[in-house]
Amino acid sequence: MESDKNNGMSRTAPMLEAVNLTKRYDDGVLALDDLNLSVFPGRAYAMLGANGAGKTTTINLFLNFIDPTEGEARVAGVASHRDPLLIREKVSYVSENVMLYMNFSAVQNLDFFARLSGRSKGFRRDECRDVLRRVGLEDDCHDRKLKTFSKGMRQKCGIAIAVIKGAPAILLDEPTSGLDPKAAFEFMNLLDSLRAEGRAILMSTHDIFRAREIADDIGIVKEGRLVMQRSREELEGEDLEKIYLDYMSGLS
Amino acid sequence: MIGIVVKKELFETVGSKKFHISFAVCSVLILLAFYAGIRNHQNNVERYEASKADNLRKLEGLKEWHEVENYRIFLPPRPLESLVGGVSNDIGRTIVIQRGNELEAEGSRFGDDPVFAVFGFLDLEFIFQIVLTLFAILFAYDSVNGEKERGTLRLTFSNPIPKSSYILGKWTGSFVAVCLPLMIPLLTGCLMPPVLGVGLSGGEWLRLGLVILSGLLLFGAFLAMSIMVSVFTKRSSSSFLVLLVIWIFVILIIPRTAVVLAARAVETPSVDELAAKKSSFARQLMMEDREKVDGYRGSGGSDMEAMMREFQEFMNGIQEERRKKTDEYNARLNEERRNKQIVQEKTAFGLARISPSATFTLAAASLARTSLDQKERFLGEAGRYQETYGRFMLDKTGIASGLRVIRISDGDREEGEAKASIDPGEIPVFDFHEVSTAECVKGSIPDMGLLLIFNLAFFALAYFRFLRYDVR
Repeated sequence: MESDKNNGMSRTAPMLEAVNLTKRYDDGVLALDDLNLSVFPGRAYAMLGANGAGKTTTINLFLNFIDPTEGEARVAGVASHRDPLLIREKVSYVSENVMLYMNFSAVQNLDFFARLSGRSKGFRRDECRDVLRRVGLEDDCHDRKLKTFSKGMRQKCGIAIAVIKGAPAILLDEPTSGLDPKAAFEFMNLLDSLRAEGRAILMSTHDIFRAREIADDIGIVKEGRLVMQRSREELEGEDLEKIYLDYMSGLS
Repeated sequence: MIGIVVKKELFETVGSKKFHISFAVCSVLILLAFYAGIRNHQNNVERYEASKADNLRKLEGLKEWHEVENYRIFLPPRPLESLVGGVSNDIGRTIVIQRGNELEAEGSRFGDDPVFAVFGFLDLEFIFQIVLTLFAILFAYDSVNGEKERGTLRLTFSNPIPKSSYILGKWTGSFVAVCLPLMIPLLTGCLMPPVLGVGLSGGEWLRLGLVILSGLLLFGAFLAMSIMVSVFTKRSSSSFLVLLVIWIFVILIIPRTAVVLAARAVETPSVDELAAKKSSFARQLMMEDREKVDGYRGSGGSDMEAMMREFQEFMNGIQEERRKKTDEYNARLNEERRNKQIVQEKTAFGLARISPSATFTLAAASLARTSLDQKERFLGEAGRYQETYGRFMLDKTGIASGLRVIRISDGDREEGEAKASIDPGEIPVFDFHEVSTAECVKGSIPDMGLLLIFNLAFFALAYFRFLRYDVR
């Protein structure tokens, strides 16, 4: 495994950190094997890998949807399995298919998840509209039921939920999967602006092109192991697609 | 956090099409049940008054008290019977009173109008037991696994919400979302009796309120059970199927099976067996009396009237003795059968109480005074009245029983003198004493408590399972 920890990264403490993170499921499958990675505030990390490589497992471990077999998934220095509620305050999550309450409007969905994230004190519903505008959802669709939204619009709603939560870390599980190029481009612009605000972003994706475009650091996960990890600077002039395919086919 | 989930459940449920449809159906059924119940009660009151008047009219013009035959008493109708039918339509509401006769209630509503027995009446018991329990399943069968399938559970738990708050909010939100709107038709229905001219006493209002509360507890139990099944099964289609099977068992199979099992466990002699025994004993006594009559010699003398009076007294004596023996024997047989029936009923009800639906039926029937006890109470009250009536008739006729063995001519009356008619108004009035409200409420508390326990037990199972639930 090539590793270049903290190369080119900020010297502040990592917001998201996997330390010797290992997950073996009850059926014996080793989903993640000794993963080490760090995501610093204001940086984006893209995990590339085939289906079943362990990307979603990593995100699940950070959210403490599952407990690690060994190691720790830390958020702001706190192991997720030690205090799940605390780490969920600090993390926003956007899934591959943002599934919200289809009979609720965009504003109602945003309002519910904002309050659920702990933003009930001093929270105004108007903020929802501001955030929806920011993610590119115009006023005429704010009060429309989600079931009338396209997938791209729902993904924007998902990122709006992450924005309104105001968490310092964002976990994205293949967020551009199934989006048309324009929607994917807009989505990446949004992520870019969130990174610029100082949020740490960890994204799992198949999309090498988008990963290269957004990520400050890229890791390739294969069969639960992080087989390659490089910074944007290190990849300058390299063919990421070739590197990825080489790793996948076992040439590297 | 609970409040946020409750609010979300409330808006999500109330905003759904299935809620609109089920609310409309429930509202129509509830209002219809109240309207039909009140109209039914008014018809029953009219029928009751007409029967009473007819009973007295038949006595008009009779010259002698011993001519009084088939004097009947009636079980008065009560408004709550029409709202929670129980067994009120199956039990006889008329009893023919005659001194020495064994009492038998006859003329049930279903007996008089068998067409209603085919499908039964639409009442609150039916709505709570059948309609609302199905709606509870419809609203909650996918409450947890459905959210997981749709992906909203994952997003929800990426936020700092404890699982305990979520599951508690789920149950509370679903319960409030359905029950609160249902209060509109229920309260409107409650306004119907006074508007349609049927006054309810304070006790009846209290009991009606408790019937509704029991219904809501039943709904809550089914809601908790649906959430529980939704937590225990992976797919919403599986939980729906499982819940339908449970519904069939709880509503239809368990109560019926409980009765069959109790009948097997505690064998009770049939009415026909009892009648055969009674008839055999009566025949035996009759034979003995015949021998006594054959052996009657009297004190002799030439005064025909004195001889007849002496013979009448002799006959009265043996009839009274026979009546006593028959009464004692019949009472013993009846008591033995009744004791076995009580054990059988207790066994059946005890077994049936594993079903929340049967528990609700028993609570509601107890509150509405339409349980099996009502028949016993009517017969008991009739028995006491029979004694009063018997003393009255003995006083009027001088004959110990209704049998007219010998008719003593009125020798004092002048030829052509018209005898005055009897006054039926002199007959003691039958006054049915209801079970007090306090006793009704007291009788229903164990079942209401059991319904509450069902709520807590189902919810506790859902709660503890959900604490270890994989939300991915």
